[in-house]
Amino acid sequence: MSAKKIKISVKVNGIQHTAEVEARLLLVHYLRDVLDLTGTHVGCDTTQCGACTIMLNGEAVKSCTVLAVQADGGEVMTVEGIGSMEQLHPIQEGFWEKHGLQCGFCTSGVMMATMGLLQENPEPTEQEIREGLKGVICRCTGYQYIVGAIQDAAQRMSEAKRGEEIETLHAGGGK
Amino acid sequence: MKIEYEYTFDMPREVVWNVIQDEDALRASLPGCKAFEHGEDDVYHAEMGVSIGPVKGIFTGKVQQINQEEPTYYRLLVRGKGKPGEIDAVADMKLNQAEQGTKLICSADVQVTGVLASVGQRIMNGAAKVVLGQFFKAMDKEMKQRQTQC
Amino acid sequence: MASMIGMRVKRKEDPKLITGNGNFTDDIKLPGMLYAAFLRSTHAHARIKRIDVSQAVELPGVVAVYTGEDLTGKIKSVPTSWYVPGCNLKAKDRSPLAVDKVLYVGEGVAMVVAEDRYTAYDALNAIEVEYEELKAVTGQEAALKDGAPLVHEDVKNNLAFLWKAGDVPDEAFTNAEVVVRERYYEQRVVPNPMETRAAVAQYNSGSGDMTVWCTSQNPHIHRMVYAEVLGIPESKLRIIAPDVGGGFGAKIGVYADEAVVAYAARHLKRPVKWMEDRKEHFMATNHARDEVIEVELAGKRDGTMTALRVRNTANMGAYLSTMGAGVPTICFGLMVTGAYAIPQAAVEVYGVYTNTTPTDAYRGAGKPESAYQIERAVDAFAREIGMDPVEIRRKNFVPKEKFPYDTAMAVTYDSGDYMLTLDKALEIADYEELRREQEALRKQGRYLGIGLSTYVELCGLGPSKVAGAIGLQFGQWENATVRVHPSGKVTVLTGASPHGQGEDTTFAQVVADKFGVPLEDIEVLHGDTQMIPMGWGTYGSRTTPVGGAAVAIAAERVTEKAKKIAAHELEVSTEDLEFSDGIFQVKGVPGHQRTFQEIARSANMAWNLPEGMEPALEAQSFFDPSNFVYPFGAHICVVEVDSNTGQIELKRYIAVDDVGRVINPMIAEGQVHGGLAQGIGQALWEGAVYEENGQLISGTFMDYTMPKADFFPVLETAFTETPSPVNPLGAKGVGETGATASPPAVVNAVLDALRPFGITHLDMPLTPEKVWRAMQKGRKEA
Repeated sequence: MSAKKIKISVKVNGIQHTAEVEARLLLVHYLRDVLDLTGTHVGCDTTQCGACTIMLNGEAVKSCTVLAVQADGGEVMTVEGIGSMEQLHPIQEGFWEKHGLQCGFCTSGVMMATMGLLQENPEPTEQEIREGLKGVICRCTGYQYIVGAIQDAAQRMSEAKRGEEIETLHAGGGK
Repeated sequence: MKIEYEYTFDMPREVVWNVIQDEDALRASLPGCKAFEHGEDDVYHAEMGVSIGPVKGIFTGKVQQINQEEPTYYRLLVRGKGKPGEIDAVADMKLNQAEQGTKLICSADVQVTGVLASVGQRIMNGAAKVVLGQFFKAMDKEMKQRQTQC
Repeated sequence: MASMIGMRVKRKEDPKLITGNGNFTDDIKLPGMLYAAFLRSTHAHARIKRIDVSQAVELPGVVAVYTGEDLTGKIKSVPTSWYVPGCNLKAKDRSPLAVDKVLYVGEGVAMVVAEDRYTAYDALNAIEVEYEELKAVTGQEAALKDGAPLVHEDVKNNLAFLWKAGDVPDEAFTNAEVVVRERYYEQRVVPNPMETRAAVAQYNSGSGDMTVWCTSQNPHIHRMVYAEVLGIPESKLRIIAPDVGGGFGAKIGVYADEAVVAYAARHLKRPVKWMEDRKEHFMATNHARDEVIEVELAGKRDGTMTALRVRNTANMGAYLSTMGAGVPTICFGLMVTGAYAIPQAAVEVYGVYTNTTPTDAYRGAGKPESAYQIERAVDAFAREIGMDPVEIRRKNFVPKEKFPYDTAMAVTYDSGDYMLTLDKALEIADYEELRREQEALRKQGRYLGIGLSTYVELCGLGPSKVAGAIGLQFGQWENATVRVHPSGKVTVLTGASPHGQGEDTTFAQVVADKFGVPLEDIEVLHGDTQMIPMGWGTYGSRTTPVGGAAVAIAAERVTEKAKKIAAHELEVSTEDLEFSDGIFQVKGVPGHQRTFQEIARSANMAWNLPEGMEPALEAQSFFDPSNFVYPFGAHICVVEVDSNTGQIELKRYIAVDDVGRVINPMIAEGQVHGGLAQGIGQALWEGAVYEENGQLISGTFMDYTMPKADFFPVLETAFTETPSPVNPLGAKGVGETGATASPPAVVNAVLDALRPFGITHLDMPLTPEKVWRAMQKGRKEA
């Protein structure tokens, strides 16, 4: 309680936040307990389960293994920031459409891990998806429909991208 | 858990025996040793920082050497307690004459509790060997220093 | 409108979960809330000589520290809830925090309450406990021996109970043409839902109302037991299971921890939250299985099986947990004959106390163990007489025309067609081709194995009078309320408490199907004892066959009332009306009709109701089924074993399940997948290991292998539908099929692969090292 506090400034889901935190405060607890962004969950204490996965400076990381102070000056995206019911992210659509979740506890982390996975490999094979999910544990689904959800999301994203490209092409005209 | 370890000193058995029984040498050689004080009889009160994989902590406890048969054998009792759990070890230390000096054979039975057991156990054997290696190497150095001083 | 039953509709529960708007217990934050953390025993068996909390209470931010002594006389011990009769059961209540002695690593010793999480953990480190170590015993067979350390001093030989059922004369074995004797160790596993246990308690010191949000599969059971433990009447104790992150049996149990959290909230007059960390979960939340099973199976050379005798020595841990004693006895024992018409069977079960975490239900609860022993023994029998594992099963199946079938263990299988699922599985697998491939590969020194499991399980708990007869201290009926609002929108309340199984959707499908209203117009609510009249929760694959059936009955009652109102308004008799797609239509008079929504408004306004009819449009059902339901199926596993490394490659897994009528195939498939992952996980990777002195050495996800995505091939699933006659939906329950069927399918496949090495037995988990060693030994002996 009396420990020295450190001032940090982090952009979370597009909003700049500043806070004074203990040096030992984990990023996941900063998000959950300080910012009340409870969509990110804690499922273990040894960095195995990935329920706490978020995007930090554009990379998928486990927020239980990052200190809040390490995120100082950085940009965080959590499940709350990727889409809304009005405009779901293709990954969210994929998980809903293909039954990629049951209890939903690991889901935020799995979707954020998917974000990282598809960023690196936009058209993964089934095997690449399974290997790309090494950092997360789901106890409900047996992963089959998570894999299906990610395939679905990848397709939606590549279709959207192609759509954008065509649009740019048309807009750019003679370039 | 059983831990076996061997170390060969290129020194005669009597020299090894004397150094290994010496309080100052022990204090200097024990890895992470923060305190090592002589208590009643042959009991020492020790405080050591221990780090086994993800488990770190300061252990306080008693170290005792019994059943000494100079210069061939003694039994080492270690009982320590720290936040990560408790350690209770009994080690038989044999000093055999070897071709190139003295071979010290340590065979220990170690019981641990707490996080040390649930998290550290799998890597404890390896970690213990590292710690013992550091200890004997430091002892070796101590012996050599004393040798040159003589 | 097409029937909603059997439709693959997207889940209603998902939008909140995929947008991070779920509400799990640890997400709850109340003004002035404090955080609790437990200090847990580091010894398996020890006397507590002294607990010094003086340094901990001094820490800034620490509000209170409680020890077992502080709670003595303040709250009561937590009892078991399954007093299996006729087995001399010696139950021991669990004190909220240990007093005098600790009996397993992880038992609560003290609880700290502080202003924040981190301070609470700091304070744990500042508590000094002096223990006097006692000899511990962890294995059930060792614990039974004379002279073994006693877990409870007055329980001789640590024998918590000895349960016997059925009787088979010795001659059935001595005179038999063939007898196989096998011994299996069903290892200890940890259910490990991804959300650990958690609780938030809030007390109103003015009204005396206590609200506890907790990770429960059955909030009414928690309310019933905690009311006793805390001394708060049920009318003032509200248990809420908000979103719950999986349970798998681990959250059926009524633990002491949540009661201590509630006590602190009352004592401190401030809300208190606690969430287990994963290390803590491994020690403090129920484990499962850990049974030594000995089987004797007698029969004839022609493959007919004639008698079965089973002995189960079950490790109960240090206490009998909530349903602990029922798992290896009733749930296991009554199902030992499996899908086979074995005329004589007997079971004896030794329930043994040890210095380990208590064991209780885990997905399947007793049925996976039962399926495991019979499916492996049947394979052993086939091997003994040189018969194909498919043929021996066909020969001994309970035939389709014999249902309802009374088994040798005196239960009545409701309906079944075992040949149907087997044939379908063989067809999907192309069994004949697989056998040819196996033969060809063996010649190349490659080892393919094909394993079968044709299981049947007891689900849908169940008739309450049976629950009473078998000593379960709960009812096993289920409640549903179907409430139609003036707008025609519908609220469904269920006493089941789903936590990932998707009944917000499937129950809505049942209602939408009855009323012809859109799925979006229906909300299914559960998990709050103040909102739901009564209920018994979600476990034992009972939610749909019992809870769903109650919903269907209540909905039918609503329809009947609505029909009367429509008939009254249209001035015809109810017989003149037909109801479909949400419209009450006078037969043969087009346009003469009322919509369901119009009737909802009429019923609620009550301006013009039939004479004597009460207003509103709502009905309840308290459905108590006449029997259990018995899902069944045939699973085929194909593996290849690397003869150099012992590594097992899962090549294919085929699951054909018959769970009666399927309401939403997508959700049902998801249930099968999840069960398979857990069952295959037990067969190949998972295992809780205790060191001799009682330390749990597989106590983190670093040491306990949780199945991951790349461990599995694509699982091939299919359903056949043989409706159950015991509920109006014809449903049988799907949650536990995968976990029940798969362990023997996998092990049988591996043993089939290893046949050339003369290996006939291996215990789970089949780690590469274990397999490799067995092959080395086999090679030497060959």
